[in-house]
Amino acid sequence: MPEDMKRRLVIPNDTKYLNTVRDFVVEVVANSAFPKIDMGRIVLAVDEAVTNIIEHAYSHKREGEVDIQLELQANATKFEAFIHDSGIHFNPTEISNPNMEHHVATGKKKGLGIFLMRQIMDIVEYEFEEGVVNRLRLVKYVNPEDKDKDPHKKKSD
Amino acid sequence: MPGTEFSIEQEEIDSQIRIIHVNGFLDAHTFQNLDDVIMNVFREGIYKIGINLENVNYISSAGAGVFIGTHGPAKESGGDLILINPMESVIRVFELLGITQLFTIVKSIDEAVAHFR
Repeated sequence: MPEDMKRRLVIPNDTKYLNTVRDFVVEVVANSAFPKIDMGRIVLAVDEAVTNIIEHAYSHKREGEVDIQLELQANATKFEAFIHDSGIHFNPTEISNPNMEHHVATGKKKGLGIFLMRQIMDIVEYEFEEGVVNRLRLVKYVNPEDKDKDPHKKKSD
Repeated sequence: MPGTEFSIEQEEIDSQIRIIHVNGFLDAHTFQNLDDVIMNVFREGIYKIGINLENVNYISSAGAGVFIGTHGPAKESGGDLILINPMESVIRVFELLGITQLFTIVKSIDEAVAHFR
């Protein structure tokens, strides 16, 4: 298989498939140049992205009713994920980082996934066509300095 | 079947101390089970809780959120919620979240019991 080939996985909007998602990410990243510690982080970031879609984009739907599509690729320089859903528009790039002291003081249990996703990935981009599709793009570079060479990079990154 | 490896068992050390053994993945699919167990232990009036993580090989923010949310109430009630023997991969998630210093982390159940006594 060419190393740049995109791998595709479609799962229902149900958290019980997160394990399937994680196994899929491991398969894709295994053939890349990422060290093991980064592999674990990438798995976590994609898990958090998919969890966020299930909890926010499809909060009005029953579990398993609609699909989330993942397209992943990894090569010698980077890992890239495109995650598509057709749920409620929810832009994770517009969410502020949590105040961790407040989080801990108030015992708040949620709202850390997007923060983790941004901590791990070099690029997090979101776009949507209202009511049609939401697209999340996550990129991590083997060498983080390569982020500046990203062909799709927005000025705000 | 995804997620079926997850299980929780409780061990009564004495009337004040409870060890909760967690196995499997602690993610958005499983975290509520652990949260429910800890809240039930609180309802029994037990606030000295050790969470045995030696068989947890993955944790996401949902799992970490359980500990963030229950640590404070345990402390405020004169107890503590401490983590027993977490894997490196689990500690790394705590580090990414910047909450490692929040928790007492010990290597064994004996150490956890000694901490509480």
